[in-house]
Amino acid sequence: MNRTHNAFWQLMFISLLFCSFTVTVFARGVNQTNEEFIAETFSNDLPKSKVVWIKDDLRPAIANILGHEYAGLRIRYWQQAGRTAWILDEIGKESPITFGVVVTDGKIEQIKVLAYRESRGGEIQQRAFTRQYADAKLSEQKLDRHIDGISGATLSVRAMTSVVTLALYLTQFINK
Amino acid sequence: MNHRMRSLHRSMGAAIALFVLLLSITGILLNHSNDFKLDKHYLTWPWLLKHYGVGNVQADTVYSLDKFVISQFGSEIFVDAKPVTSVQRPLLGGVALDEIMVLATDDALILLNSDGEFIERMGAAAGVPPMIQNIGLFHGNPVIQTREGMWRSDFMLDKWEEISLQGIGWSVPSLMPDSIQNELVNYFHGEGVTVEHFLLDVHNGRILGSLGVWLLDLLGILLTFLSLTGIWMWLRRIR
Repeated sequence: MNRTHNAFWQLMFISLLFCSFTVTVFARGVNQTNEEFIAETFSNDLPKSKVVWIKDDLRPAIANILGHEYAGLRIRYWQQAGRTAWILDEIGKESPITFGVVVTDGKIEQIKVLAYRESRGGEIQQRAFTRQYADAKLSEQKLDRHIDGISGATLSVRAMTSVVTLALYLTQFINK
Repeated sequence: MNHRMRSLHRSMGAAIALFVLLLSITGILLNHSNDFKLDKHYLTWPWLLKHYGVGNVQADTVYSLDKFVISQFGSEIFVDAKPVTSVQRPLLGGVALDEIMVLATDDALILLNSDGEFIERMGAAAGVPPMIQNIGLFHGNPVIQTREGMWRSDFMLDKWEEISLQGIGWSVPSLMPDSIQNELVNYFHGEGVTVEHFLLDVHNGRILGSLGVWLLDLLGILLTFLSLTGIWMWLRRIR
């Protein structure tokens, strides 16, 4: 009886630990500041930032990728030795999610959630999910692969896919 | 026993009659919501708007720049009564340059063009000194005060030199003009609360918050007792 009792409490303790770990992983907040992301990407050898103005044909093309007008007149990027880093905000359901994307040779080198502000869908921050985008390329203004969704995080997944597509498209645009 | 049960049945019936009437009427109306176009009709009673938390339209901070009024409501930045972008930090000030307006939070500058459209947000990664405390103008050039010193740039805002100057025109908050305030009230209130929404909240008790939900639970329990006492009395009679 005593042994059963102990086993029960051990199981409860492990469950609580697991729950607290899960909450930590999916938590809202800033994972990395924009500055830290750029510094990490270029190993502290920061290139000067440049901007691409969203005008003429670029505006409707971006709206087509995002499914809505881009809320801004220009987007800043950092480029060095064939690698281009973008910091882009996109709304998941209600709040903007800040993504850091690195594109190398027309492929996704890295996608990171720098700040997550939604109340649900934080699972997209996990590497197990983001690695689906590794080496993704553009194919007729769309990603060249299918991205498996996450139940309960549909809008956040959609936001990340849009941002990855946008980063690839913008890199292609500035390198023309 | 039968007399006591009948008395209890009558008392409960009288107590819940009004609620049942209310539920029946709102239920019938909601059942025909589309026919009556209840989702297209709006209620703008001040007490109701206040009850739904849209009664008080008060900007967190207001700055007058150029010909525009810039205000912040939570994470939203408004130019006059139009939302232009969202920021996660409080606005600390703003200045108008030749062709752009520059707003400051403690970690970034928010650029708007002369039409009030959002251009971009420039943070430390774009070369803007961190820990901003205020923004001002010196001979037409933007100056920011940070925790670590004073910095000056030009309209490009991408190169900042550390300076120590007197006579800078620092940005100060201003009052919200009545005309813009009225437009903002219209923006936030919209057309009001739909009749459908209001009826639904009356029907499910949520118009009274969590108390309403408990009241409806109580009503449900009373209705259950009413049914049981009714059935019991009916069974007694047919025996």
